[in-house]
Amino acid sequence: MSYFYLFLQLISAILVAPLFDGIARKLRAKYQSRIGPSIFQTYRDLYKLLKRGRTKSHSTSFIYQIAPYLMFATTAAMFCALPITYESYSIFARFSDIFVIIYLGALFRFTFIISGFDTANPFAGVGSSREATIGFYSEAVAICCLIVVMLGAGSSNIPLIAAIIRDGNYGYFVPSYAIASTAFLWVMYVETGRKPYDLAEAEQELQEGVLGEYCGKDLAIIDVALMLKQFSMLGFFLILFEPWHFNNPILSLLLFLAEIGFLYVFAIFIDNFGPRFTMGKWMKLTMLFPLSIASIALMLYIIGV
Amino acid sequence: MQSIYILFLLTSLLSLLLYKKPLFAQKIGFGLACLISLYAAVFFFSNLHETLMWKLPGNFITAPTFRLDSLGMFFSFLISLIAFAVSLYSFEYVKFYEKKANLAVFASLFNAFILSMLLVVASDGVFSFMLLWEIMTLLSALLILFNDGKGAAKNVMVYLGIAQIGAFCLMVALLIMASFAGSFEFSAFSKLNISFGMNLTLFVLLLIGFGSKAGMFPFHVWLPMAYCQSPSNASALMSGVMIKVALFAFIKFALFLPQTVQFGYILLFFGTLSCVFGVLYAVVSNDYKASIAYSSCENVGIIFLGLGAAFYGLGAHIPSLAVLGFIAALFHIVNHAVFKSLLFMLSGNIFTATLTRDMDALGGLHKKMPITSVIFFVAALSICALPPLNGFASEWVTYKAMLLGGMEPSVMSRFLFVLAVIALAVGGALAVMAFSKVYGAVFLGLPRDEKSYENAQEVSNIMLTPLWILATFCVGLGIFMGDVIDVLSKIVLSFIPATSFNQNEFISMPMVILVMLLCAIVPFVLLYLLKSNNKTVRITDPWACGFIYNNNMQIGSNSFTGDIRRALSFILRYESEITIDGYFSKAVYKRKIHDFFWDKLYEPIIRLVMLIADKIGIFQNGRTNFYAGYILVYLCMVLIFAYYYL
Repeated sequence: MSYFYLFLQLISAILVAPLFDGIARKLRAKYQSRIGPSIFQTYRDLYKLLKRGRTKSHSTSFIYQIAPYLMFATTAAMFCALPITYESYSIFARFSDIFVIIYLGALFRFTFIISGFDTANPFAGVGSSREATIGFYSEAVAICCLIVVMLGAGSSNIPLIAAIIRDGNYGYFVPSYAIASTAFLWVMYVETGRKPYDLAEAEQELQEGVLGEYCGKDLAIIDVALMLKQFSMLGFFLILFEPWHFNNPILSLLLFLAEIGFLYVFAIFIDNFGPRFTMGKWMKLTMLFPLSIASIALMLYIIGV
Repeated sequence: MQSIYILFLLTSLLSLLLYKKPLFAQKIGFGLACLISLYAAVFFFSNLHETLMWKLPGNFITAPTFRLDSLGMFFSFLISLIAFAVSLYSFEYVKFYEKKANLAVFASLFNAFILSMLLVVASDGVFSFMLLWEIMTLLSALLILFNDGKGAAKNVMVYLGIAQIGAFCLMVALLIMASFAGSFEFSAFSKLNISFGMNLTLFVLLLIGFGSKAGMFPFHVWLPMAYCQSPSNASALMSGVMIKVALFAFIKFALFLPQTVQFGYILLFFGTLSCVFGVLYAVVSNDYKASIAYSSCENVGIIFLGLGAAFYGLGAHIPSLAVLGFIAALFHIVNHAVFKSLLFMLSGNIFTATLTRDMDALGGLHKKMPITSVIFFVAALSICALPPLNGFASEWVTYKAMLLGGMEPSVMSRFLFVLAVIALAVGGALAVMAFSKVYGAVFLGLPRDEKSYENAQEVSNIMLTPLWILATFCVGLGIFMGDVIDVLSKIVLSFIPATSFNQNEFISMPMVILVMLLCAIVPFVLLYLLKSNNKTVRITDPWACGFIYNNNMQIGSNSFTGDIRRALSFILRYESEITIDGYFSKAVYKRKIHDFFWDKLYEPIIRLVMLIADKIGIFQNGRTNFYAGYILVYLCMVLIFAYYYL
């Protein structure tokens, strides 16, 4: 039965993610005084990509073939590691670990970077470099926040942490936890790859630029994988800092999807706010803010507040 | 057991005797080394939990005893395992050096080097230990020199210099310990009655002594120099096992001292620094072998973090933390030995095929060397600690130990453990960057320099076999994480008495793999259900915004790290030089990375030593009558000294 619920968790995310993406696009268009596409546009895009033929660069090797599936497997596994439909006594509890999620994220990044190298496309290469640098920035901040939670709750096992927080033994009354939540949300926003840190749908050298040579069904799979990654990142925040749930797995899944959808759609209000940052200057400067917030949380933990 | 050592000695002598027929001697030397080390690996592994000892017969200055306990058995097993793979690889690989050196001597030194490492692990007295330790250093230095070339002398001198600083500290520490224990046998060392200050001094001396050999942070400068200089099989052996011998000896001697929590603090501090700085230089380096060498420093840092947790646990009387820390350290020691020697051997494949170490001149090698490329992919995944391979398994245990330590009430320990976790995570992110760059720039994309690409070809099957074996170990040690930890915990519990250990709270690696496999099936099912377009893929040029594509448009290893170099320019010093003459000629772009610590720490010391040597040189002027005068003065001084003080 637990396998069924895990499968349900994954499939529902795959099915719902394009809808939220469509809503976000529509809302963004309204915000910019455009009519915008229908909210089901992302489904249509994906379907169309599946039916398209493919071309590839003559430089590509086996990495080009396996990268979409590897990326999908990684992000899907990340999403499965979020204990939404299962709890600490389930057989999946020994899989659901904070470090598993972080290192699956690293595996995703590794695949992403080398697939950029593999296509020999100049823009893909620049995108790879950018992805690696963002990874360096965000991982440092993310781990600072996560240490606070892990040490405070005394484990790196996510279902256990969520249970401790739900029971009220640990939570927002601890200052370091409350402060860490702010910085963590910030970093997770950066990881979802939106403006001002990244721009998913334009300029070739940015994050999507890595995928410049991908097309057809490969691109469709990668698109779903990227959406799943954004879901997992936001879900990672929710499960650690807002672990609301019901005893019924289906109800908790619905609640969780609603929460993620809320964050996903309303992130466009930040998204539309400013231009993209240049990598050298503003990236460094703006990442210093969450880093200092996270350091404050860490300091508070260390001195034992 | 003695037969293993004797066989290595005989093989070494035999291949030396055959120096007139180097090709034959090379076959005998490496072939026998391979067989003996396979036998040794099986032997040591099957006797893992026993204690064996033997005495050297005959009239030596002392009567050296040799003793292997559980930990020694484990390290001997590791040495023989890696030696097996490397000697099988060398069987073909050394032919590359046929014109440069006598292969018989190479084979002989190779066997002697393995023997010296095994003996260092087994030795049980101060004199035999120091002697064998120095022999090991010398043999490794000679192995480096096989690849004689520009700058070889400097690289070897730096290596020997740092090794001598270490050996000096070791000698002092061991003599002090021996004088307190009243015996030169290590078995008498266990109950030392010394003051706190002396205890700490001894610990720092041991740390400098063994840390310098292991490539710990302030002493890491010799790693890229020595490893880039030496033939790849020698660097595989040095990085894979020689630095593990140093770590073994460190664990062994540090356990003799009375434990305090300060030991843990010192180890955590240096582990943290090694972790971050090692991998930072690995990222920005343009030489793939230097990248691999620098990442040794990072991995030694990770091992030191595990050891730091262990020694903290011993000092603060938290046996569970001590056990966990030692398991983490030993696990990472195995893993690092496997994937680092694998990577160095792979770098040997690349170098023999292309004759260049510059990543900006490589690219697209996957098409020429597909098997090397796939194995490199596995090795890169495992060194970046990506699930589900072995690097992840051991880093996870290290994290677990750090978390357990970070929950201690004292502010100092919390601070250091938290810093350690950050260093591990940042090191992990940078390792991903470093090795995705190495893999991408060397194997993927299109060749940047036709000349080195054209002659490249896949290496022979004999050379690929040990690589396959080690790659299998990379996967297996990850999947069977639970069983490996069981074996390691038995070893650890043999020297930390009265504790128990279980892994109920550990992640289950088979579950990780199962979920990933199930997730990997999903897209295929979806594609099938939605009837995707499966027509053959058309092949085109990469898109270059309408310009004619040129291979130099690809991102190179140099430009890939541009952003991170600028972001970290406060610690990474580099010089760029651009030469443009004329509109139609190619611009030349050169970049040189400075090792901050080489410039700030080592250069001044070297300059000072040179200055002193220069001044002392006045006395050595080559005139015999001056030398006779010196002897006369010296004799007079001895007489005066004897008259007044004796």
